[in-house]
Amino acid sequence: MNRTRILALLSLLACGKGAAPPQDHIALPPGAQLKPFDPTKPGEARPLYTAQLGGRVYVTLSNARAQGNFVVTAGPGFLGGIDPFAGTVDLIDLGGSDEHQCTNPGVVRADAGKLYVACSGDFSGTTPGRGVFEVDPATKAVSRGLVTPEGIVPSGVAVTAGKIWLGDSITPQLVSIDRTTFTAADGADAGHPAIPVPCPSTGQFPFVPYVGIVNGDLYALCATTEAGVLGRFDAQTGAAKGSVAVGAQPTEFAATGDGRIAVVNSNENTLTLVTPGAQLSAQLALTFSSSTSTLQDVKARGNLLYTVASGSNTVQKIDLAAAGGPKVVAEANTGTGSNPFNLEALDDDTVVVVNYATSDVVSRSLKTVQ
Amino acid sequence: MPRVFAVLRRPIRFAPPAAIALGIALAPRPARAEEGRPEAEPLDVVVIGAPGSTRAPAAQSTVVEADKFKGEVRSVAEMLSTSPGVSVHALGGPGQATTLSLRGASADQSLVLLDGIPLHGPGGGAVDLATLPAALLDRLVISRGVLGAQFGAGALGGVVELVPVRPRGDRLQGETRLSAGSFGTYGASGSVAAPWSDEGKGVFAVQLDRTGGAFPYDQQLTPEIAGAPYYEFTRENADAWRASTLLRAASPIGSDTEVDLLFQGSFGERGLPGPATNPTPRSREQDGSAMLGARVRGSAGPAAISVRAWGDLDLIELRGVSAFGDCEDGTPDCPRSHQSASALRGELEAGGPLGDRQWLRGTVLGGTDRASGDETGLHRRGVFSASVSDDVRLGAVSLFPAVRIDLVGHDAGVSPAIAATLKPWDEPIELRAGAGISFRAPTFSELYLQQGGLAPNPDLAPEHARSVDAGVTWRTRQLTLSAGAFASWYHDLIVYELFPPAAVKPFNVGSARILGLELQAVASLPLGLTAELAYTALQSTNTRPGALEGHSLPYRPPHRLFVRIAHHAGRFESYAEGNATASMPRNQFDTAFLPAQLLLNAGVGARVAGPLWIDLDAKNLLNDRTLEDLSQYPLPGFSLAVVARARL
Repeated sequence: MNRTRILALLSLLACGKGAAPPQDHIALPPGAQLKPFDPTKPGEARPLYTAQLGGRVYVTLSNARAQGNFVVTAGPGFLGGIDPFAGTVDLIDLGGSDEHQCTNPGVVRADAGKLYVACSGDFSGTTPGRGVFEVDPATKAVSRGLVTPEGIVPSGVAVTAGKIWLGDSITPQLVSIDRTTFTAADGADAGHPAIPVPCPSTGQFPFVPYVGIVNGDLYALCATTEAGVLGRFDAQTGAAKGSVAVGAQPTEFAATGDGRIAVVNSNENTLTLVTPGAQLSAQLALTFSSSTSTLQDVKARGNLLYTVASGSNTVQKIDLAAAGGPKVVAEANTGTGSNPFNLEALDDDTVVVVNYATSDVVSRSLKTVQ
Repeated sequence: MPRVFAVLRRPIRFAPPAAIALGIALAPRPARAEEGRPEAEPLDVVVIGAPGSTRAPAAQSTVVEADKFKGEVRSVAEMLSTSPGVSVHALGGPGQATTLSLRGASADQSLVLLDGIPLHGPGGGAVDLATLPAALLDRLVISRGVLGAQFGAGALGGVVELVPVRPRGDRLQGETRLSAGSFGTYGASGSVAAPWSDEGKGVFAVQLDRTGGAFPYDQQLTPEIAGAPYYEFTRENADAWRASTLLRAASPIGSDTEVDLLFQGSFGERGLPGPATNPTPRSREQDGSAMLGARVRGSAGPAAISVRAWGDLDLIELRGVSAFGDCEDGTPDCPRSHQSASALRGELEAGGPLGDRQWLRGTVLGGTDRASGDETGLHRRGVFSASVSDDVRLGAVSLFPAVRIDLVGHDAGVSPAIAATLKPWDEPIELRAGAGISFRAPTFSELYLQQGGLAPNPDLAPEHARSVDAGVTWRTRQLTLSAGAFASWYHDLIVYELFPPAAVKPFNVGSARILGLELQAVASLPLGLTAELAYTALQSTNTRPGALEGHSLPYRPPHRLFVRIAHHAGRFESYAEGNATASMPRNQFDTAFLPAQLLLNAGVGARVAGPLWIDLDAKNLLNDRTLEDLSQYPLPGFSLAVVARARL
């Protein structure tokens, strides 16, 4: 073996060790480990939203089971802290002392070393189990929490230095919590009303599916079956700062590396790019293939976007800087019947995907192929 | 001619000749059309005397003779697909649920009648065509347009009348048919027709079908990547079997009176395989249905009277169906789901001449509908209707005004209609035009079904529609050409909307406009060849104000072309056909489409011994294994079947 070959081999070994791939498949804990309300009727993890913090992927576990054609909450909400390389999952119980403090956890956000989770309860807005909870990943425990005002079903979380904003799944409005005191702020009472969200003029029963902070502003989606609007607000006061129409029934958005906001529109099978400025402007960036369906998630990494299509069990990588405009440059299938819900990009070419239907986590390579 | 039918045929003589001509004008086989109705066939009191819709004689209609498919493996849906104005919505391959769309209307807006009796699904809505036995039918009459005045509430896109088999002649006759084909598909059917008195006749028919359903199909796993490979899969849990029977008897009970009975029953089971992306290998469905009708017909002077009563019962049981897809049947969280629906009706119909240029008829109908289910509860509603129609002959012009009042539970509506035919010259040409207004009451499912993410809405109001159409027919012994155009407007359409935070719920918020063109040609060619063509152009537009306005309605193919050439001689027969469907939108935004589809089928057969025929029937000759239905369920590729049949 000549010297060149030896060097090449050593180099390969070194690189391989430094870029150890994530586990292909990680099973989430079975329902029996998720403290079922009725030990004889455990649910399944049913993972939903994800966030990255400290090298781990955190995922909300809705802990549900099916009873015939109905989905039933089987136990308290959990956060799963996943080490995608080691394949381990740490469970964080969000249920509190009575295990009913948080049920049906949804969006999770990471900020300043903490995690913030919105819990929807039984989606009625009147029973316990709904609220927002701060989790300390170091102690793997809920550090603070607040039950949201009656009538509100939290649907998204956006975290600023002073406030935690929540969307409402029932009424198109925003409420907030003082992050320091963890007490209700906007929407707390008649003197501090909730912030109305601009919504499409067409379609019935608008609601807020997602909120987030981009470049210091608060953004909220408002969705109907046939349309969608992205609204911009002052992140401290909630004052409206404009809005723009996006596609039909938008589900999530992400800030791109070039300062824009990418929105996936589930019903329309499209991707919209919103350009913030004095006014918001939007353009249709991409219409997905007809075989791609139920767009759920979008995440950004520089000029690369990563999307999840639950109905077609696929995840995509989109290059915003591609010649000719945004283009799908890689795609992977997460498995028949997996219903992927959210993903996290570990690097430009690797994503970790949580599958709702199969209650597991898979990693996929998304190396550019076209 | 038996005396009963001499009386009953009396109205035929009063029927305007123009209407008679129209009734047969669109019959695909002109030679048969001229034979008129067989004498022993139970008829509605007021008939025109030729195959075609008896209740809507001036409607744009097509008659599909089941007999011409005897050497082929054909479902009811496949036979209907040979007509213009028809779109069939299948959920997978053979034996799987299949619904009907006429002129772009939804399945709930298209009525299906068996021997004049309306059929319905377990939720009170769309009929699953896969549960209807094709071998027990004599012909299918497809009448298109808003025909509520003629057929009752719900006929917004049109009506399919299934005419069951009938006794042929005055001697004992039998017919049997066996088939075996790809994917473990087998069929057996037989019928016996027997006279038991001078004029009493009956027919008993049975059909058994079974398919293994395990067909291969090809699917891309990464469809966003250009040139991504297709992978082969095998469809699982798509098996189905069904047993159906029909008993029909007619006998005179007096000098001018006849009674006829009809029983039709069906029982089957099938797997519910789910979409290819999310299969449900453990979900099953069992269903059963039974219908019994009795009718007494007679005459009083020049008038004809018919009294009819019928009842039907539909049952469905779902096993292994869960909110997450499928589940293990028999486990605590996997209960079986039951749904049933039944109807009872009594109907009095009378008709008679009014002067020498009119035939007036009236119908009064009453009864109840009932639906019961684990997820709907028990609900009943009364049904009442009264209708009057007239056939008026004014020289070359014939007019067909009709009006009907329907009460369906708390919903009431009036359905007026008028049609006219004109035979202007001494040529085989006829012009026709029609207009109608009607409504559809919400189904029990729409009103009460609470299932997973589906929310009920007991406050729903009826849907409404109006339409106009016009057409021209040229008919000679060798050639029938017809062309028609229509425009329909729908409002108060029931649409399932997101109902935050976690449900969808139906509301009367939709509206639509559908324009269409329908062409049909049937030609008798030399050498025993027959050629057929059916073409439909459809422009369906969402007119609901807002973001959807102006977009196409999903699942309506803008173009559909069916072409068939068949040869039948004494000992040999063959056919070849093509069915092309243009790409159609899969969502309401014109951003997702079902690709265009081309199906080529062909068959050949020979009479090998005595009355025994052996046929080979091949479908999807291009072996396109990437075909999908509207819900992206895979469809079978090439299949082959052998059919042996004999008529004694």
